[in-house]
Amino acid sequence: MTTFIEVDVRSVLRAGGEPFGMIMSAINELKPGEGLRLLATFKPVPLFHVLGSKGFTYEAKEIGGGDWEVLFSPGEQPQAKGSVKSAGDDREWPAPVRHLDNRDLDPPEPMVRILAAVEEMAAGEVLSALLCREPIFLFPELAKRGHRWRGGFEPDGTTYKVLIRIGQPESIQ
Amino acid sequence: MLGATLSRWTMAYFVAALCCLLAVEGLMAAGYGFPSAAVAAPETLIVVHLVTIGWLTLIMLGALFQFVPVLIARPIHSNGLPLPTLILLLAGLAGLILGFVQLAGSIGLPFSLLPVGALLFAAGFGLALWNLGRTLWSARPVGLPARFVAMGLASGAATVLLGSAFSFVLSGESVNPQLLDLTANGLPVHIVAGLGGWLTFTAFGVSYRLLSMFTLAPESERASSRAVFYAGATGLGAIVLGGITAICLSGEATVIFSVGAMLSLTALALYGADIVHLYRARKRRVLELNSQMAMVALANLAAAVVLALALAGFGIFERSIPALLFLIAFGWLSGLALAKLYKIIAFLTWLECCGPLLGKKPTPRVQDFVCEPRAQKWFALYFAAVWIATVCLLLGHSIAFRFASLGVLIATGAITAEFLRIRRLADLGAEVKLPELVRPHLLFALVKRR
Repeated sequence: MTTFIEVDVRSVLRAGGEPFGMIMSAINELKPGEGLRLLATFKPVPLFHVLGSKGFTYEAKEIGGGDWEVLFSPGEQPQAKGSVKSAGDDREWPAPVRHLDNRDLDPPEPMVRILAAVEEMAAGEVLSALLCREPIFLFPELAKRGHRWRGGFEPDGTTYKVLIRIGQPESIQ
Repeated sequence: MLGATLSRWTMAYFVAALCCLLAVEGLMAAGYGFPSAAVAAPETLIVVHLVTIGWLTLIMLGALFQFVPVLIARPIHSNGLPLPTLILLLAGLAGLILGFVQLAGSIGLPFSLLPVGALLFAAGFGLALWNLGRTLWSARPVGLPARFVAMGLASGAATVLLGSAFSFVLSGESVNPQLLDLTANGLPVHIVAGLGGWLTFTAFGVSYRLLSMFTLAPESERASSRAVFYAGATGLGAIVLGGITAICLSGEATVIFSVGAMLSLTALALYGADIVHLYRARKRRVLELNSQMAMVALANLAAAVVLALALAGFGIFERSIPALLFLIAFGWLSGLALAKLYKIIAFLTWLECCGPLLGKKPTPRVQDFVCEPRAQKWFALYFAAVWIATVCLLLGHSIAFRFASLGVLIATGAITAEFLRIRRLADLGAEVKLPELVRPHLLFALVKRR
């Protein structure tokens, strides 16, 4: 059963504020298996896509007075199916020791540079990379090499940040 | 696993599709079908369906099995289904072609092959729809490019259903009065749903993502792109659903076609503006050959629209329809497909060969797999021959059209040879050709089962 953390952004919206950052930080603080109960003054369609790309499913209903309640539930993929996400993955990761900004490179150069950097790093170290799209073809390659990753779009909606934690050598083929 | 892997059978779709394209260009150069035969003659129907089903539909489905997962960042529902799907589609195409030959009176059989072909093809398309539909469904809510693809697939289903209905009437299996009306007046719906809805609308969706990816343009969803979707989807809905309803109720659908045409023109104009914006906002100043040639294909689409409006202004639209359809099928859709194949085949081959070695060994770049200056000449010949062929059709010169078609055939043959060279790693220099490189198979990708 999913437990939902409630975020009510109606007062922020009525005051003319921008609640996106608040919602995203709440999302980032969710523990595995937790969902988000969002209360807003309109149907927050743009969020559906942003959170959809983070693996959340949603259920939206109007609750009267033009207000909406949306339940974002965590999808199954990251926890259940990710073959490389093992126990202990939920612990805090160390700060990244390498940073790459690959936003201005044309594909597949971002993937090439990340894999080149990853091969030079020691087990347990973390790499941080900025991209301009989700690196779809990179993930299977990371999985094959026994590394773990976490990624998502930044609040600006255009930069994709991925953190990669180097796996133990014995799990690398 | 999150992310996308290589689609195992995409290369087989590409090979089958290119064989159909070369075959049909050979037929046109030999004077088979329009303009040597009548527009509605069985010979013309064979040529048309080899282009639209054998070439364009197979290339589109093969590409979608690889790129729908990229559009929505989810793996494909089944990586195994595309092979039985391809077999059904090819069996259906063969049945349709033999059915048309039978219509021409060259095969004497106690039963008609046309509905058999139509049903086999519908089964294959249904299987593709199920696989891609399940994949898209799993990623709801999907972004704009994927919604274009979903709408394109729905139009494709409408095209196949209408075509199947025609096949039952044309083969004499059905004398239902509504189906007779549909066959008599529904051809424009079949063509618009197929070339406009299925092929063009899907190409729009994929192009938004691929063009911005390969030109390094921002990928944000623009209001005008959403307007393209809504105007295009409503226009297609009006022509396909409204058109079929009107034909079944009253036998004709001129008003509803006009409304649908206005909406579709709006969508085309907005799409054109979007592409110009994308081109101006790109960060990559010098475009690769595939992007340059995609721009030529897009210009051909614009030219077809302008030409259609001009011909309608002169009152000679109806008799110019074959020339316009030729320009759309060969200048726009085939041009775009060949241009994008030049990148897609190189990229997929690179990923298959170098993926496992990346970071561990110095590996060749994607561009090391191609030889752009050589391919550029053949693309130039291709487009020039297509334009000449279009003019020949407009002027009604059937002999000149055959020579122009020969040019199209030679150029396509040479471009196909470039694809083969990429797949065989023939253009990789000795200095980057590592002994550890995986040698790719021509027909399928080596996908590790996990």
